[in-house]
Amino acid sequence: MTANRDPREVIREEPVMRTRILEAVQAEARTVPDIAAAIGVPAHEALVWVMGMRRYGYLREIKGSDADGYFRYEPAGRVAR
Amino acid sequence: MDQTVAAEQYDVLVVGAGIGGMESALKLGDMGYKVLLVEKEPSVGGKMILLSKVFPTLDCASCISTPKMAASIHHPNVTTLTYTEVEEIGKAGADGRFRARIRRKARFVDEASCTGCQLCESACTVAVPDQFNADLVARRAAYIAFPQAVPKKAVIDRQGSSPCTFECPAGIEAHGYVSLIRSGEYEKAHRLVLDATPLVGTLGRACYAPCEAQCTRGSLEGTLPIRRLKRFIADQHAASGEELGIEVAPPNGRRVAIVGSGPTGLTAAWQLARLGYAVQILEAAPEPGGFLRLAIPSYRLPTEVVERDIDNVRALGVEIVTNSPVRDLAALHEDGFDAVLVATGTPRSAPLGVPGEDRLGVVGGPEFLRGVKLNEPVEVAGRDVVVVGGGNVAMDAARVARRLGAASVTVAYRRGRSEMPAHHVEAEDAEREGVRFAFQVAPAEVLGDAAGAVAGLRCVRMQLGQPDASGRRRPEPIPGSETTLACQLVIGAIGMAPDTAAFATLATANPNGTLRPDPDTLQTGVPWLFAAGDVVHGATDITRAVGQGRRAAHMIDRFLDDRPMDGFDLRLPAVDKAAVLARQAGYAWRGPAADATTLSPAPLDFTEVEAPLTEVDARVAAGRCLDCAVCSGCNECVAACPVEGCIDLHARDEEQDIDAGAVVLATGFQLFAADLKPEYGYGRFKNVITGMQMDRLLAPTRPFNTILRPGDGKVPERIAYVMCTGSRDETVGNPLCSRFCCMYSIKQNQLLMGALPLADITVHYMDMRAAGKRYDEFYEQAKAMGATYVKGRVAKITEQPDGNLVLRYEDIEGSGTIVDAEYDLVVLAVGVQPNLEPGALFPEGDLTLDDYRYVAEPDEDLNPGATSIAGVFVAGAASGAKDIADSIVHAESTAALVAAHLERARLREPEPEAVPA
Repeated sequence: MTANRDPREVIREEPVMRTRILEAVQAEARTVPDIAAAIGVPAHEALVWVMGMRRYGYLREIKGSDADGYFRYEPAGRVAR
Repeated sequence: MDQTVAAEQYDVLVVGAGIGGMESALKLGDMGYKVLLVEKEPSVGGKMILLSKVFPTLDCASCISTPKMAASIHHPNVTTLTYTEVEEIGKAGADGRFRARIRRKARFVDEASCTGCQLCESACTVAVPDQFNADLVARRAAYIAFPQAVPKKAVIDRQGSSPCTFECPAGIEAHGYVSLIRSGEYEKAHRLVLDATPLVGTLGRACYAPCEAQCTRGSLEGTLPIRRLKRFIADQHAASGEELGIEVAPPNGRRVAIVGSGPTGLTAAWQLARLGYAVQILEAAPEPGGFLRLAIPSYRLPTEVVERDIDNVRALGVEIVTNSPVRDLAALHEDGFDAVLVATGTPRSAPLGVPGEDRLGVVGGPEFLRGVKLNEPVEVAGRDVVVVGGGNVAMDAARVARRLGAASVTVAYRRGRSEMPAHHVEAEDAEREGVRFAFQVAPAEVLGDAAGAVAGLRCVRMQLGQPDASGRRRPEPIPGSETTLACQLVIGAIGMAPDTAAFATLATANPNGTLRPDPDTLQTGVPWLFAAGDVVHGATDITRAVGQGRRAAHMIDRFLDDRPMDGFDLRLPAVDKAAVLARQAGYAWRGPAADATTLSPAPLDFTEVEAPLTEVDARVAAGRCLDCAVCSGCNECVAACPVEGCIDLHARDEEQDIDAGAVVLATGFQLFAADLKPEYGYGRFKNVITGMQMDRLLAPTRPFNTILRPGDGKVPERIAYVMCTGSRDETVGNPLCSRFCCMYSIKQNQLLMGALPLADITVHYMDMRAAGKRYDEFYEQAKAMGATYVKGRVAKITEQPDGNLVLRYEDIEGSGTIVDAEYDLVVLAVGVQPNLEPGALFPEGDLTLDDYRYVAEPDEDLNPGATSIAGVFVAGAASGAKDIADSIVHAESTAALVAAHLERARLREPEPEAVPA
């Protein structure tokens, strides 16, 4: 079951989570569930942050999803502090 | 509305620039009418531009919308105002014309010079849900609505001043630096505070943080530690060894003298030096810093921190001359200083005014603290000390005496604890450090021994009467209640006073010695002489002193530049905290930062008592910020913008009246709020989304890299649609069919099967309504492509641990049994609801709504588009659910009605009188 927080609250935390997410994908590209597990957050919250970071140039997807239907994401070059 | 004021004249006002509004406006413009098209969003285009494709042609919605959007702002007869609200519409007079009040909301970005580069958006530090992506992804507070926005101009979502920022007397962008810390931009945060004052480290320790008292989070778990965050960035900067990074104008050849080097003088010097002035500070004491350096004890404010802040000022070339008391202000002017600022504070103690005050062992609070700071010999060890007074100086003196080994320290205050002017934290900390309090006692006489030294303090007990002018209860002596406090040292800290006798010949002074310049400009009767800070207001606190320094610098610059002496306080109004809290349905617990103060009941040294925040603590603490005003005021957008002056964070809304011969309401519809059907779990189950959210996922400008379910980013393989969510449903008060949900679902089915060829698409429906040219063929085509259509209303949805969803329904056309079917993703085909805004536009209440609260068309059969008010028309879905094609047809029909109305009015007008040849 997913624990839900208000979307506005989750989205607001993106700047705080950037460093942790970039660290999680630094060594190898990861799926959203893997990123979520690495930083200890629910997958749906990780997705919100990953997509925000993708939109603003911190992350990019690796083309083609794997057999389980998940894309993997890697650093796209923009640095988060 | 004032009918006597001239208003801009139009033939037609069109409210709303969705497809219906644009179509009506363009057709009327083509006919030669002068049209004003008003749109509340930052871009025209309405909901259509947000769609993936349109049915049944599967044309790209963007491709067919954007030409009309572009035309609506380029048409010679159509004036389009985006980000503008129509507030009310009334009759303009007896000629049947209308007068409307419109409010052009501040974009904070100059539309003319914005290039649409989005650098501001990329730099922005505030993330909020993107309403143009159905809240599926974040946008920034600075943003362009969507890639095809027309006009493609940025707007900054800035809803006023955040309460913390608004409250700061120093004018520091508290929300801004918190937001920068949240983003890990510590140096930028430091520079943002430097923009107001050089005293970052000082304020990070010794400020009483009025910002925190206003923090909206304070009404949840507790306020943000805004002051300690400021200390964090000051410490980070000091440790980094980085340059200040502050812009300084080239020298302008003018000189300013500042008398006094406290927070007011230092801040004024800092600001003036940045503007290119040559500044000299003249300080009477042997060390600069005023009270910061010579009074506030090091356990609260270490000397090296003050010195670092003073070094900031010196780094800009400000010369600080110590041991230089000024007695002749005119001489400074004669020496070539173009302006002089008096900022000498309140260096003197107010006398106790009792017999024996001149005994050996009676000292003023400021003098006592100053002696300690200057390492002068102070005999305290082993003595019993009484501190008279209840302010912060009294608390400082008492705690310093404890550290110097006093046998006992008692604070004697004539009122009660709740009336003490000291900050409550100072009083509490003093108590925790072993300071005793004697309340409701007033000194009557300092007793002495044979050698003339202090032997005790005779006091009178007081009772509290009615409140005085300060609002505090007035202390009144109780006859015959005298008592004696045994002591060998009395520290008088009942108030501080300025020392302005030498300035009285030039600057007007009050009876208490404070100077009396103009309260706004801080200019005295002598034009080149200014006065600011505690020397004007009496003893206040550091933030107010800093704010006075900023104001003085601003006004001196204006004066010397021969410009109007205004424009200092440009704050927007503070946002309503209740409205901020109402933005979220709920708040997760985010515990406040723990108190890091370590106090001993018998303190032995002057080690700083409060520990700094760690980096992790600081990021977590900053992450609790609610972004009250949305825009934080961090100024990153201003720094990133390549166009000088394009962004003005102090812009204001502008109101304007316009007259029009006719009005077209094209305000569209609202989508049904799917969480009103709790059995479907929208808002609780992350993989239950709405039709509009699916349209965004299918659009070329989608929020994700492809179609992913929001629960975990998986590409869905089994997708279900639940039709008639909020339509034809008496349980939610909407018996109407929404007309296009069936068709947009079928469209999405086809697009999904194209994008995800292996996905199974199942539609749970009551009955499919595909009445329109090629609509039924479109439906059949979807079935032929493999979509499955199952008749039977879904009773409920449950969520599995892996995020999958189980739909329970009755298989009416199949087994006839109750079936549970599992899916990866569920799309609720939400219906439409009326937009209630049009009714509120007419305060006279004469616009009639129909039974379902859409704009009524009383003569719908013969004159669709006409409303209950002659001259007011409706276009598109504002009068009822319509698909795009029908909206366009309706809007064009309305345009014809409007033209007929205007021509009839023109025929009724008297012929203009012939002009004599």
